[in-house]
Amino acid sequence: MARSEVSQAIENTVLPAAAVAQPGGALTRSLIGGLVTSLPVLMVGLAILNFAPTYYTYLALGAFVNLIVVVGLQVFMGNSNIANLGHSAFVGLGAYGVAILSTPLAMKKLSIPNAPFGFATLQLDPVSSALIALVVVGILAAVSGKVISRLSGVAATIVSLALLIIVHSVFLNWTDLFKGNQAFFGIPKVVGLPWMMVFSVVVIVLARLFKDSRWGLQLRASAQSPQAAAALGIDARRLRLMSWVLSALICGLAGVLYAYFAGTISPKLFYFQMIFNTLAMLILGGMATVTGAVTGVIVLSVGLEFIRSIESGVTIAGIQLPQLLGLSGVALGVVIVLCMAFRPSGISGRYELDELLSRFFRRSAK
Amino acid sequence: MDYALQQLLNALAFGAEYSLVALGLAVVFSIMGLVNFAHGEIIGVSAYSVFLAAALGLTSPIVAVLLAVAAAALAAIAFERVAFRPVRYAPTTTGLLTAFGVSIVVQNLFMLLISPKPQSVSILNGLNQMWFFGPFAVSSLQVMELVVSGLTILALVLFLNRSTLGLAIRAASRDFATVRLMGIRANRVIATAFAISGALAGIAAVFIIARRGSVSPDLGFSLVLKAFVACVIGGFGSLAGAAAGGMLLGFIEVGLLVALPQEYGGFKDALTYVIIVALLVYRPEGLLGQRVELGDKEI
Repeated sequence: MARSEVSQAIENTVLPAAAVAQPGGALTRSLIGGLVTSLPVLMVGLAILNFAPTYYTYLALGAFVNLIVVVGLQVFMGNSNIANLGHSAFVGLGAYGVAILSTPLAMKKLSIPNAPFGFATLQLDPVSSALIALVVVGILAAVSGKVISRLSGVAATIVSLALLIIVHSVFLNWTDLFKGNQAFFGIPKVVGLPWMMVFSVVVIVLARLFKDSRWGLQLRASAQSPQAAAALGIDARRLRLMSWVLSALICGLAGVLYAYFAGTISPKLFYFQMIFNTLAMLILGGMATVTGAVTGVIVLSVGLEFIRSIESGVTIAGIQLPQLLGLSGVALGVVIVLCMAFRPSGISGRYELDELLSRFFRRSAK
Repeated sequence: MDYALQQLLNALAFGAEYSLVALGLAVVFSIMGLVNFAHGEIIGVSAYSVFLAAALGLTSPIVAVLLAVAAAALAAIAFERVAFRPVRYAPTTTGLLTAFGVSIVVQNLFMLLISPKPQSVSILNGLNQMWFFGPFAVSSLQVMELVVSGLTILALVLFLNRSTLGLAIRAASRDFATVRLMGIRANRVIATAFAISGALAGIAAVFIIARRGSVSPDLGFSLVLKAFVACVIGGFGSLAGAAAGGMLLGFIEVGLLVALPQEYGGFKDALTYVIIVALLVYRPEGLLGQRVELGDKEI
């Protein structure tokens, strides 16, 4: 009796996160957890699919792309606790990959007639283009990850930024292949909201599985205490490389989906603006959890849309306000600074949605 | 020969500017472990205050130079007081992201309050002339950049080595807790470090305005990215490393500019960063950095 009470107490205090009510193995638990986390996303998506006018569907597609990017960012940042400021390079690579492979030949004659390696006369179906683009993203991520995983925190962040600048400058200057500063148009628009929702759920579950896996746990441990983790035989470099590649692939997927729904892309879409937006979303939601990533995207997408409507100049009580360019940027920055000062763990804190729910229900059952 | 000399001067001038900015980053980082992404916006504040003063009728370039340096130092102290003090004892990533946030806020404030477009400032154009030494024509700005940066670094070294506050700053970069036990105020040491960092940024701002003749919201951003890279090559937190890294970066850039054919000139930045990343593969801790035992900074 006394003993079971003690073990109960230990379970409650030591393993609050693991003490989930569901039976079954750890894998099932995190699978269900991931699905629970993606529920709000699905509900928002379904509501927009059924009721919203076209304009909002377009906005929602953009928000879903951001969601996938932020979840991808969480996979690296949340687990390794190293700030990554270069992830939009991989989004861009994914998008340009499918743009170059799947754009119809007639369009290519107009846009990139001089493309090297025979790309000007090559047209693949959307699925194989996406797969090849992701393979390319994976290879580049493995190469860059090899460098990044060797560096200490700050240097890794700076190199991730350098990576972004390298990729952006190649997009801008290799005009034969990427069309430079101009928009790359004519990409087949094959992705709608349903596919976007499917991929969002897959990505959320994947991120959750990684976080709860033995690698995720080891990586989080090494982020908290490098020495203790090394003493336990954890190879932090290998794990950082692994999470970097997974994160890049998810970001690449976001880019592929963006290209397939927008049909037109340009280099500046995948530069600092995207970094600012997605980073603020992740920080506001809380980067330690996948739930945080989802929360941040939902809250900031709505908030930013509201601010953008003010930014373009509105009429309040008969007074026409002027255009306020830069207002959304100020808001994003303020969100980051305030979050870091007052709640560094973000809105959702340490716990995933399903863990919070199960804690809540157990408490009310007692 | 003339061409080679000209390119050498180019490399030295670029390198001097990177060193100045990188030193400002390193002074702050070595003391409080803050990766100050908002350093570029300190340059921005300095440049915009010169712009505003000129718009309000300031005509003396000397006053403009003093104003630029003072405004930058004040801006740095203000950033520390408002944004960085709450995260002083937080992990490095928290400070880094805070600074990133400050940088976004200030850049967008320039857009919101002044204009997203570049604004012309002609008050310091007089610094940018051609000087003739016999057969050689050199840009006065480049010579001044080199000389002023050299003097500034000399002054910084003297300050750090000869004054009590300088001693405290050097000691704080080793062990802040002990410095405070010696009865030196943490706030004073940190404010001084930020003021130094800001003044260095202000000097850089003077050269930027003189060269470009205009100010824009993202004026300091790309320069600071390069300065960060200089810090990383030199070894993050090492002052000598920052100065050496800045010089090396200047030489790599000008070298590429000379070596690359005209039509590939756009790839200069990309290649610079590739070379640096390749350097880091062989020396992850930087050229002058020491391999720190991980966990040393843990409490």
